[in-house]
Amino acid sequence: MPDGSDHSDLPQATAVAKKRTRISIVWIIPLLAAVVAVGIAVQRLLSEGPTISIVFKNAQGIEAGKTFVKYKDVNIGQVTSVQLAEEYTKVTVTAKIAKSAAGLMVEDAAFWVVEPRVTLSGVSGLGTLLSGNYIGFEAGKSDSKQSSFTGQDVPPIITGDQPGRQFVLKADNLGSLGIGSPVSYRRLPVGQVVAYQLASDGQTVDIKVFVNAPYDQYVNPGTRFWNASGIDVSVGAEGVNLRTQSMIALIAGGLAFETPPFAPQAEPAAANAVFPVYGDRVAAMKQPDVLAKRYVLYFGESLRGLSVGAPVTLLGLPGGEVTHIGLEIDPATKRLRGRVELVAFPERLVQQLSAGQTALGEAVARNTGRRQAFFEQMVEEQGMRAQMQSGNLLTGQRYVAFDYHPGAPKARIDWRQDKPVLPTVPSTLPDFESKIGSILAKLDKLPYEAIGTDTRKALVTLNQTLKDADKAVQRFDADVTPELKKALDEFRRATVSADKMIKSTDATLLGPDAPGQQGLRDAMREVARAARSLRVLTDYLDRHPEALLRGRN
Amino acid sequence: MTTRALSAAQAGLVACETCKLLLRPVHPDHLGHCPRCGAELEVRRAHSIQYTWALIVAAAICYIPANMLPVMITNTFASSEADTIIGGVVFLFTSGSWPLALIVLVASVMVPLGKLLALGYLLISVQRGMPGGCRERTRLYRMVEFIGRWSMLDVFVDTFTVALVQLQPLMSVVPGPGVLFFAAVVVLTMLAAEAFDPRLIWDSATNLESQNA
Repeated sequence: MPDGSDHSDLPQATAVAKKRTRISIVWIIPLLAAVVAVGIAVQRLLSEGPTISIVFKNAQGIEAGKTFVKYKDVNIGQVTSVQLAEEYTKVTVTAKIAKSAAGLMVEDAAFWVVEPRVTLSGVSGLGTLLSGNYIGFEAGKSDSKQSSFTGQDVPPIITGDQPGRQFVLKADNLGSLGIGSPVSYRRLPVGQVVAYQLASDGQTVDIKVFVNAPYDQYVNPGTRFWNASGIDVSVGAEGVNLRTQSMIALIAGGLAFETPPFAPQAEPAAANAVFPVYGDRVAAMKQPDVLAKRYVLYFGESLRGLSVGAPVTLLGLPGGEVTHIGLEIDPATKRLRGRVELVAFPERLVQQLSAGQTALGEAVARNTGRRQAFFEQMVEEQGMRAQMQSGNLLTGQRYVAFDYHPGAPKARIDWRQDKPVLPTVPSTLPDFESKIGSILAKLDKLPYEAIGTDTRKALVTLNQTLKDADKAVQRFDADVTPELKKALDEFRRATVSADKMIKSTDATLLGPDAPGQQGLRDAMREVARAARSLRVLTDYLDRHPEALLRGRN
Repeated sequence: MTTRALSAAQAGLVACETCKLLLRPVHPDHLGHCPRCGAELEVRRAHSIQYTWALIVAAAICYIPANMLPVMITNTFASSEADTIIGGVVFLFTSGSWPLALIVLVASVMVPLGKLLALGYLLISVQRGMPGGCRERTRLYRMVEFIGRWSMLDVFVDTFTVALVQLQPLMSVVPGPGVLFFAAVVVLTMLAAEAFDPRLIWDSATNLESQNA
């Protein structure tokens, strides 16, 4: 101190430690935590996909948080809630879809519940027995996005990317067809029925079929589809006709198509082209008859056994059919007679001509004048007449046959009429019947009583004769019997050996214990047993589909 | 005035943090080292409040994803399920085992949250220099320190299940990202409790007392 004065009485300054306000490095920890947390949050937000709602009829097996939405077996979303929809008739399922699949949520995308299904055409969804049901998804083709959908009851059979084409068939009724019924081409399964609905006018059923590539190229505008369901048995004047398709078609129904040979070669039909469905193959493959000529026949006899659609033959070859059967009063005689209308297809007959004459026949058939002249000549000069004939004695079906009857009375054709009348001759069958009738009448007239007395007289005489015969026999016995006996012995020996032979044949082939019979019977029994156990199995599987995986306990 | 609480710092002394030997510091600014155990001497834990705050904030941040993200992902061959902690509690409760649900709820949800709140309260009270309730606050701190290790229950269960349930084609359990955050919360709160110097609670009280005196 320069002045040496003492300042000890001055207050002592306190040394306050300087507060350190420097930010410590420890704050890096919360910063790091914040960065990571924010990073995760941002990632979550960015990967957030859309939320969609699907309306189902019921929520069988769908659980919030557990059920997935799968496309091509890849999870694309998860159900977040299941609620009853308005009016409590349906169920709204809300699902969160992954961002990667957000682009798939378009207008015509399809959703359905995948569950185990056992159908005639296969078993599907077995995986869901363990995993629980999930919601199947099929991408659509539309571009407009949507977030609320209506779930389908059944999975779409054809996935969007399956190559092939869809066609629309118009049928009178659905028959035994259902979704999944096979469509076959030359007995090859080439497609399926994918949907059906009643046409808006309620008169036909629109059946949508999908024909897989490459078979779809065989469907062209001239192709005919027909119902190939089950067994087709038809009994007509032509006999019994039985036709079946594949086993599945037999049980589940099916459709078949083919392009008839006469159809013009054409480009494959466009997708969604409309085709009619024919009842059977015969109807489908029938050539459309361009030339159809109508005629009328009058019969003075019973028309029983003749039906609409019955064939009309020319010299035994089919050339038309009966279109109408009715009655008419003959204006000249006031007599009721049967009136049969028929349609003839000259082209069919032309086809039956030998190759060299087809062109000529065609020319004749196409030219009205020449055709009429030709036909007229046949009828008026060569005695061509229509006659009802019995096609099938068992069923009594009859048809109209045109044959030459040289002895028939002269007739003319009046071509001026709209439906010219053709001359007929009575059928031969009624003759036969009337003959039997007259025989019966004659039998009826027999004098039975006189015959009785005569018989009695005859019997008395016979008695006398027998006595005489007895005497003769006694004599015969003495003279001839030893010889005869010898012959009989010979005969018996032959019989015994024949008997032996027959018995041995019996034993091998025909006897109840014969090995052949036995084997056959065993085989039949095996088949029956196999069928029974198969039925038991299907019954069991029907009730316990899970047995396929778990086994039967 | 019978007994007056006098802290070592007020007396110009310092206790070794490690072996608790009461020493006279070399110099008020450079305390020196403990002659017995060799530890560096400190009057109070350095930057205690700041460290604790930082760790608590980090734990609080981690607490959110720990509860939002799944802690366990169960894969069966057909489905996959991700469970969060709360989801597990709800599942246990709805499936009838409510005691278990309560244990998980307390151990995994309430305890970490409680620790965060308790430490936050202690820090604020110390920074504001709150005088009263020092004894209760110290008890609270002790509880926080004690209970810290038990919060690892969830992580423990998770690691156990993951290790045990590995029946590959049928079922497997995979830890979810939530469990990492959850473990981080537990570790960070334990570190925060460690970083907090409980003597600070009493400092404010004794400061007040000395001022009153």
